[in-house]
Amino acid sequence: MTNIIDPIAEIDEARVADQDVVIGKSRIIFRRFMRNRTAVAGLFIFLALFLFSIFGGFLTSWDKDTIDPLNIGMPPSPDHLLGTTQAGIDLMALIVDGTRTSILIGLIVGGVSVLISAVYGCTMAFFGGKVDATMLFILEALIMMPAILVVAVATSGSGGLKDLPSWLLLIVVLLFFSWMGTARLVRSLSMSLMQRDYVKAAKYMGVPSRRIVWRHLVPNIGSLLVLDFTRGITGAILAEVAFSFIGIGIKLPDISLGVLIGQATGQVSSFPWMFWVPLTVMFLLTGSLAMMNDGLRDAFDPSSSSIGRAKTKIAKKTNK
Amino acid sequence: MSTNITPAERLRDAGLYAPGDAVLSVRDLNVRFNSENGVVHAVRGVDFDLMPGKTLGIVGESGSGKSVTSMAIMGLLPETADISGSVRFKGKELLGLSDKAMCKHRGNDIAMVFQDPLSSLTPVYTVGNQIIEALTVHNPTMSKQAKEARAVELLRMVGIPSPKDRLKAFPHEFSGGMRQRVMIAIAIANDPRILIADEPTTALDVTIQAQVLEVLHTAQEETGAAVVMITHDLGVVAGMADDIMVMYAGKPVETGTVEDIYYNPRMPYTLGLLGAVPRVDTSDKQSLVPIEGTPPNLALPVLGCSFAARCPMVSDACLHGEPELIPVPGVEAQTLGHKAACIKAEELSGNADAHKIFHAPPKPVSKFDGVARVERQKVLELKDVKKHFPLLKGALIKRRIGTVKAVDGLSFDIREGECLSIVGESGCGKTTTLLEIMEFHPDQVGEVVIGGVSNKVATDHKTTMAMRKEMQMVFQDPTGALDPRFTVYEVLAEPLENLGMPKAAIRKRIMELMKLVGLQPDHVNRFPNQFSGGQRQRIGIARALAVNPKLVVLDEPVSALDVSVQAGVINLLDQLRAELGLSYLMVAHDLSVVRHISDRVAVMYLGKIVETGDVDDVFDNPRHPYTRALLSAIPVPDPNLERTRERIILQGDLPSPLDAPKGCNFATRCPVFAALPAAKQEKCLTLEPPLASEGAQDFACFFPDGEIDADMLVVHA
Repeated sequence: MTNIIDPIAEIDEARVADQDVVIGKSRIIFRRFMRNRTAVAGLFIFLALFLFSIFGGFLTSWDKDTIDPLNIGMPPSPDHLLGTTQAGIDLMALIVDGTRTSILIGLIVGGVSVLISAVYGCTMAFFGGKVDATMLFILEALIMMPAILVVAVATSGSGGLKDLPSWLLLIVVLLFFSWMGTARLVRSLSMSLMQRDYVKAAKYMGVPSRRIVWRHLVPNIGSLLVLDFTRGITGAILAEVAFSFIGIGIKLPDISLGVLIGQATGQVSSFPWMFWVPLTVMFLLTGSLAMMNDGLRDAFDPSSSSIGRAKTKIAKKTNK
Repeated sequence: MSTNITPAERLRDAGLYAPGDAVLSVRDLNVRFNSENGVVHAVRGVDFDLMPGKTLGIVGESGSGKSVTSMAIMGLLPETADISGSVRFKGKELLGLSDKAMCKHRGNDIAMVFQDPLSSLTPVYTVGNQIIEALTVHNPTMSKQAKEARAVELLRMVGIPSPKDRLKAFPHEFSGGMRQRVMIAIAIANDPRILIADEPTTALDVTIQAQVLEVLHTAQEETGAAVVMITHDLGVVAGMADDIMVMYAGKPVETGTVEDIYYNPRMPYTLGLLGAVPRVDTSDKQSLVPIEGTPPNLALPVLGCSFAARCPMVSDACLHGEPELIPVPGVEAQTLGHKAACIKAEELSGNADAHKIFHAPPKPVSKFDGVARVERQKVLELKDVKKHFPLLKGALIKRRIGTVKAVDGLSFDIREGECLSIVGESGCGKTTTLLEIMEFHPDQVGEVVIGGVSNKVATDHKTTMAMRKEMQMVFQDPTGALDPRFTVYEVLAEPLENLGMPKAAIRKRIMELMKLVGLQPDHVNRFPNQFSGGQRQRIGIARALAVNPKLVVLDEPVSALDVSVQAGVINLLDQLRAELGLSYLMVAHDLSVVRHISDRVAVMYLGKIVETGDVDDVFDNPRHPYTRALLSAIPVPDPNLERTRERIILQGDLPSPLDAPKGCNFATRCPVFAALPAAKQEKCLTLEPPLASEGAQDFACFFPDGEIDADMLVVHA
């Protein structure tokens, strides 16, 4: 019904028509993430380490079981790029193996614990009442359990779990203790989402509960879950390093960054490369994740300062 | 900016101040904010003079810069804001003063009453403490006793009963209206010369709004302060203000006395605003004046007239250069102050018809209009529906200490093609009633019949689904009701997919729906946050209509929208009802909207219907004292009428559900009851009046035409 359009709105309109002012949420998030230089650098470092842990074996002709009797406890040399241990094993081969174990533990623990907490938290929030109270009690009880003792008992083999490789055992134990905090967060977040009008609207439209959870609740806590995934990886890697360092995590013959650091602490002055190399790799790993996490938080947070085009205001007219 | 400055103005600008001059004069005030999208020019050249003891009303839509203006005067804007121009208090420049220097004026010379009384008091200090704090800051030498005495005096002035005991009360022990009174008490504590009230009653119920406006009036009389009243509600200022300034896109577009603005508007925007507000006092059944479009983006430079894009009278001349605020041509001497920023102000003289200018659609006619009510089918029927919540106390073992009767025995029906509105103060059970209907569960107390399906037999999914198809809901907050992660297409597809409609049919239906609610069909791929509030509400309405329901439940459908946008949505609802033969069940607190859109109305008080009937009967001839009070509390956008109208000011707030009265619920606040002889009062206190039919409507009162207690009647002459 409006007959005159001011020139600015007209330009705006044209832009709307032939360009993609309507951009998907995932694209907005991707753009915002890419705008954060640190985060992108973090992503590249992480990817490089990931590739290194898989294909790094090709950089050296040695493997972690072969002893080089001619080079025992030697510093880095053309033969052994990162030197050898006092047993004569190539450090490069060990680092590749250790990094792989650490990343594996991180990814599995981070991913699975987020899944567990999402399901657990949403269930608590959706059913409420007695179910909620019971599940919350279990959760609180788990938080209070001393994780370090359980890890020590489980990995020492006295739990009757001897046949499992130690890294798998550690994953199971870490998983057991890593999801509670997020689950509680997910619960409170979904509880507030349940009160939103659009959830009510769906309910009054007769949309089944299962579908409401899937279509309205999960996507809206999605950003939290992605953030928690990267944080979970860091947490799991650090926990692995810490446990292995004090000798209750990964056990030889399995190798991890924590094991390597732990072994080398006694001889930092005589074999410095054996200590500093795994430590640097660990820092790069957790550091890159932390850098990425910051960028992700920025990208997901609707109130963050990197607004970009997500908030482009469109002056539109109805009732033409 | 005014180009011809009088000598008096020049003197004042030079810093000379004579008593009798304006207490506050603002010249060419500009405020700019930085934002992601560039610099937003939020206030663009505001000029006004505030005379002592007078009231200036600043009216405008959200985003028009009215609140920013008041914050700039108070010096409360963040450091990052760029403020230029001049703000003089008694000739002294306030802009550019340091925060510390400004503190001497704030609360002492210029005080402010904020919109939200719930968050402007600190919850951890007693009310007395907070009043005394305001006194201490500006009067360090005052003795403790004197301060306490003054606090009691202030609380009494704003009408808080037993003020001495209430000093020790915490804010949470006060209701919203009481808290706003306390805010006013704090504001006038130091006898300020200027009182700025920023939407002081927007968050309150109409009856409480009437009380608070009354208190503001008293406060102004007692202190002789000048008042700046900022509001979006043309009714609120009609009775209070002496002068009005209408703001649009950060600029005053029309200024003048109340009479000038209300009876002789010369700017199309003002004209449109006045036509966009429905009236509670007349059964004027023509469409409202819709103002299409949205205000301009102030991050971009305004080239022509800021209103040009929405103005129906626009011509090429309007797009070249922004019109200045100049005195309206051809007016008599006494209205010299009337200024408008429109090059066509002259054309609008006389009785310009907003409906004609803005091309208001004709009143739609429904196919049910000619059919008598009894011959139409019932789409919704409630029989004695009750919802009682137990009130429990105790940490481990919960004792039942009482019952909150949120809904207490409600019966009504809605026929095809009609709109029933439920009105009442907040806490009267309106929303609970809606939720009870929407829940539709066999375990409910009472029977809900929707489209012939009773909740008592709705045990399986199929029956429930059949009922869901008959009834849909539109929510109050259009932003919260749409999933931010869904595109409009997905939002509208959800109810259709749920019915198992094939994909192609869904697409076709969605295109129909978009056209039906007046949105462009190619906008379906957008996200809700890319639409304005009014457009979002249209999407909400489209979603409700997707499954072709017979009954739409509207929960405050326009209360979150601006006046000009509100008119468009109301017209749409009217038109849809006529075209599709819909029935509405509406809950609204704005009685003017209710009068405009409904056929029937039910007035609720404490979970019960106290009066119900055709909207014209109830509004023109209210019988129950509560309805009478409610109607008299609504401000009307007509200054002359507003000044002579009798207003019933109810005492106190809704009684707590714990000590709900035994006989008539309303007896504690009833203006008729207060005037009754003791013998008759006994009847009200012991017997509960039944909802009985008399005359055109049903009401529940023993003495419907009783005298109103003189203390509760107020007339401003």
